[in-house]
Amino acid sequence: MHETSPLLHFAEDALQIAALTFMAVVYALKVRWILKFPAARDRQAPTGRGDTTPLKGAAYSLAAIAMPWAVLSTRQHPLFWVQFALFHTAVAVSIGMSFVIPYAPGLIEGPAVVLLLQILFAAAVAIGVGRLIRRMVSPYMRAISTPDDYFSLALLVVWFAFSLLAAPNNRQESEWPLLGYFFLTAFFLVYVPFSKISHYLYYPFARWYLGKTLGYRGVYPVQRGA
Amino acid sequence: MSKNRSWKAEKLIERMRQKVTRQMMLSLEACVHCGLCTDQCHYVLANPGDVSYAPAYKADKIRKLFKAHLDWTGRAAPWWVGARSVYTDAELEELKDTVFGKCTNCRRCSLACPMGVDMAVFNRMARGLLCHVGVMPEGVAVVAKDQWEIGNQMGVLPEEYLETLEWMEEELQSEYNDPSIKIPVDQPDRDVVYTINPREVKYDPRTIAEAAAIFHFAGESWTMPSVGWDQTNFGLFNGDDEFGGAVARRVYDAAVALRGKKVVISECGHGYRSTRCEGPNWGRLDAPVPMESAVITMLRYVKEGRIKVDKSKNTDPVTYHDSCNIARSCGLIEEPRELLNLVCSDFREMHPNRAENYCCTGGGGAMSMSEYAPRRLKSAKIKADQLKATGAKVVVTSCHNCVDGLFDLIRHYKLDMQVKQLVSLTANALVVPVKPVRVMKPLEGYKILVIDDEPDVRVYLRMIFKDQGAEVIEAPDANQGIRAIKSDKPDLVTLDLILPKMTGEKLYWEIKKDEHFASLPIVVVSGYIGVEAPRIDFHRFITEKNLPEPEAILEKPINPEKVLETVRTVLEKKNNIRN
Repeated sequence: MHETSPLLHFAEDALQIAALTFMAVVYALKVRWILKFPAARDRQAPTGRGDTTPLKGAAYSLAAIAMPWAVLSTRQHPLFWVQFALFHTAVAVSIGMSFVIPYAPGLIEGPAVVLLLQILFAAAVAIGVGRLIRRMVSPYMRAISTPDDYFSLALLVVWFAFSLLAAPNNRQESEWPLLGYFFLTAFFLVYVPFSKISHYLYYPFARWYLGKTLGYRGVYPVQRGA
Repeated sequence: MSKNRSWKAEKLIERMRQKVTRQMMLSLEACVHCGLCTDQCHYVLANPGDVSYAPAYKADKIRKLFKAHLDWTGRAAPWWVGARSVYTDAELEELKDTVFGKCTNCRRCSLACPMGVDMAVFNRMARGLLCHVGVMPEGVAVVAKDQWEIGNQMGVLPEEYLETLEWMEEELQSEYNDPSIKIPVDQPDRDVVYTINPREVKYDPRTIAEAAAIFHFAGESWTMPSVGWDQTNFGLFNGDDEFGGAVARRVYDAAVALRGKKVVISECGHGYRSTRCEGPNWGRLDAPVPMESAVITMLRYVKEGRIKVDKSKNTDPVTYHDSCNIARSCGLIEEPRELLNLVCSDFREMHPNRAENYCCTGGGGAMSMSEYAPRRLKSAKIKADQLKATGAKVVVTSCHNCVDGLFDLIRHYKLDMQVKQLVSLTANALVVPVKPVRVMKPLEGYKILVIDDEPDVRVYLRMIFKDQGAEVIEAPDANQGIRAIKSDKPDLVTLDLILPKMTGEKLYWEIKKDEHFASLPIVVVSGYIGVEAPRIDFHRFITEKNLPEPEAILEKPINPEKVLETVRTVLEKKNNIRN
């Protein structure tokens, strides 16, 4: 039986724990920072339909991400939403895989599971590349893109590529895909709180507050007419 | 290398630190630059290829500033995350051009953003920061100044306001031929305090009259205040919360001073949003009275049967434009449609509609910023196409800014359309209750005392007068006659001269010498007037006693027509003197 190298062992265990701890600490500090800003509140009597409430509005707002028909932009660009869904599923699966490989490798031993994972990661790579090209080609996208936007996207593309290679967990043959995957995962975890990728921390708060306000005002859930 | 920063730029940054709320910072942080908001903005759609109109690009102008001063990464690695501060007044002017001239704060991109980034909220904040250092379009400054100093945003003077209300009251009374229609001002303890947009006084007073007609026929107890009547609020457009709070408070104070039970806000999008929704938040106060849009009020009147409407009076095809402030920010979406379907026979939706509708392009104070008018009209192409596709002849909106914005674009794009408000359509559809035509009997409302000792004569006269609507009291002698005069206070007395105990002459004298009853009209009805009878020589008697002549002297036998004509003439004469 092949012995896991100390470097890979470190990368898949201690390094991940350290990176996760670091990310958790920075996130905690970020939440504290968010809460330092005073929250505006609605003092007026509620408006709009009687059946909407701030809580309903907030729940609808949070769920909107999974309801492409509910948001005007995703309704008009369904393919964009499909790409979003695949891309973010791949992120979640790849992060999950960083726990599964060292602690429960049996879960992804089957060739079918590996194939599914690889298809997902391959799709995510393709989507990422497509998004990168779109960001570079579209004048609108170029005008709003920062180095962080390009780098974050490129980082994810590379990370997905390594996820694709690491999915078989074939350390007997070669450790470098796994080493690349785990080091990138650790870097990703450390980097995200400082990058645009941290939107997944802000996003629930932003949608919560918007939904609460628009629920109170009878706008959310959005009613569409004929 | 540090740069020198202008005083204005310094103050703006200082102010930003105080003004960013949690909702704003989350919106500033959560953007992932996905670009999905780009084609949701009418400015972008009308200016393809010009990236400076893209919502995320415009938002980034503020985001960069926020990141440069309040965000960790922006301070540590500004280049990496696109953080950039402002240094010169020229940069502030550039920011002004974006937040005032390229965005109407319509909030459409906010609703289209998958991340929940509320761009309109921080765009308004940026406007407030610029106004704080005196960088704003001249129109915004002038209008805000008028609102602050004169009490309304169009500088309407108190006498101009009151004269307009009087004028509209006269117009209404003449139109409906009903002098009871009033536009009450400063009446305390009314159920409704009606507030309006000064544009109505200046350019469209007819809407005041239409609302007054609706209130009148609904039997509403209402009033308009002489101060605090302007429900509009430039605080929404200049981003100054303190200003907005103070302006909204004027309306609340007026309602409280009049002990009004509810404030009804005429059809004005930004006025409704500012007074009804944002005023308490800007002013950090709890609204002291309930408030509602006139659209809701009118709809309730129709539903409750307080007014009757006939939709066949509005037959032109009608479409409805949702005002951004009303629909997207206050959820007033279905009520206008419900009302339109009740007052119009051909209502058709435009697409998109409701909270997803496109801006009229006149919002966000755009109508007061003439320097951006060409831009505004160019971007209005989207709205013009949307209107045209409906095939409607009338576009209805519940917002005065939208009225002006739509009117401008209809003229610019040569559309065969009119702009109207719901109040006009509702007033036009009113089925004015026809008052039952009541034929007044000639003597209705009068009280007549018949003093005669002959029962047959009393019965006969009573029947004649009662048939003509009079209330009749009878007295068989002079004493009872005196008592009846004192207790029943008749309008006229018919007096027989031959009476038991005390003659009619004596009674006449008693009546005329009493200062309380001296003016009481008396018609003498007697059979002895023309008869030579010393005992009852009435003429000599009144001459001797220096008494006035009675109003009429009639001889028996009674000629009913003559009696009636005489009595009616006497009473009419008395009534004219009284009036």
